[in-house]
Amino acid sequence: MEVDSSLCLRCGACVSICPVDAIEATDSYVRPNERCTDCGACRKICPVGAIK
Amino acid sequence: MHGLRRVPENLSGRGDKVMEDKYDVVVVGAGPAGSTAAYSAAKNGARVLMVDRRRELGVPVQCGEAIAEDILNELGIKPDRRWAVNRTNAVKIVSPSGIEIRISEKKVTGKVGYVLNRKVFDKFLAVRAVKAGAEAMIGSYVNGLVFKNGRIGGIRGVGLDGKFEVAADVVIAADGVGSRVARWAGLNTALRFDDIETCAQFQMVGVDFESLSMLEFYLGSRISPGGYAWVFPKGDDLANVGLGVLGSRAERRPIEYLRDFVSRMPGLSKGKIVEVNVGGVPVCGPIEETVGDSLMVVGDAARQVNPLTGGGIDSAMRAGTIAGEVAAKAVEEGDTSKERLKEYERRWKEAMGKRLTRYLKAKEILLGLSDGELDKLAEVLRGVKFDRISLTDMLKVLVKANPKLLWKLRGLL
Repeated sequence: MEVDSSLCLRCGACVSICPVDAIEATDSYVRPNERCTDCGACRKICPVGAIK
Repeated sequence: MHGLRRVPENLSGRGDKVMEDKYDVVVVGAGPAGSTAAYSAAKNGARVLMVDRRRELGVPVQCGEAIAEDILNELGIKPDRRWAVNRTNAVKIVSPSGIEIRISEKKVTGKVGYVLNRKVFDKFLAVRAVKAGAEAMIGSYVNGLVFKNGRIGGIRGVGLDGKFEVAADVVIAADGVGSRVARWAGLNTALRFDDIETCAQFQMVGVDFESLSMLEFYLGSRISPGGYAWVFPKGDDLANVGLGVLGSRAERRPIEYLRDFVSRMPGLSKGKIVEVNVGGVPVCGPIEETVGDSLMVVGDAARQVNPLTGGGIDSAMRAGTIAGEVAAKAVEEGDTSKERLKEYERRWKEAMGKRLTRYLKAKEILLGLSDGELDKLAEVLRGVKFDRISLTDMLKVLVKANPKLLWKLRGLL
């Protein structure tokens, strides 16, 4: 999971769909933690296409 | 009250400096659910801390901003022009082929609603909690629960002044659609693709709509598969124009569907976009289990959202109020076990469980209908004069006109 921070609006949709609680979403960044398995669920749900 | 004196410092974002490290109740998230829970717990005598990762509450907006008046009456909150920016009393539903159904509430007895300014509303609710004695810690990211003897004993995170840890007798998870607190406590709140509507919204200026007091809804698989598009007026030529698509049905991003919708609508296409909002709305119906030892889950985090409309502010505030009260009482009695906190679960289910289940069923039925079938239903409803906005009233008309529908709609009437 890689987030394009110029597109990300930090809405949290990716966090809600992540099956393994692998996304940290603060007020300033959204990024994966060590649990990320690169399953692609977040990429699919992101409303603005910010996840590569 | 210790909280009052410290309000200005807290809201300036330096919460850590004045924070005590033990509270009766810690609320994670300061949206409508969290702020209402914090208010209610503080009012009932608990020492409350409310934590939010955002440095500015209510931002970013992730909401169409429409709300029914009932909840404000229930909680004794007087609508204020600063956040209740437009009063509505009618809806228009447009079928896939363009058949329009209009419903106006009766002039005298009718229920009204408001289109909110969430940036102001959320801040208002947070300030209300703080004025009731709750402490607020803004710009503070909660990244884990603290366990004591295998039981939830607090939270930890990173704030403006670095890492922090706070002990609490009860933790209320009000951390929204992307809730993690409940998950850390072992409750399963992960969503699947058919549990979530992903939404995009433009706030647009220079648009035309039928009436300032009318909320508009547009259905159709071309417009927004598994969801709907909306036009919610906020001012003379200002409106929230948005849509939600069901995660499992979306072939493109919601923002792309929205651009198409806007360009096809003559009243909207000439408008200018002055704000872009996106977000996810859980439409799976509330989770069954919303309490644990020292834990309660409220609002979007508990999926307490009307699955048909996606509206969740009212449920969040209703649940938050109950949760805060139960938390304060439980702490006072010295029993914050899951068993004790179940009072919250029983009471929110009593207050809205049946209604949400019914809307979930309605949503599932609607999702099973083709655009053609939706047009047929709209054809039946078009000529009928409704004097209130009621799902039951509409269903009755449908079944009367087409008894075969009864089988599909059973359980809803």
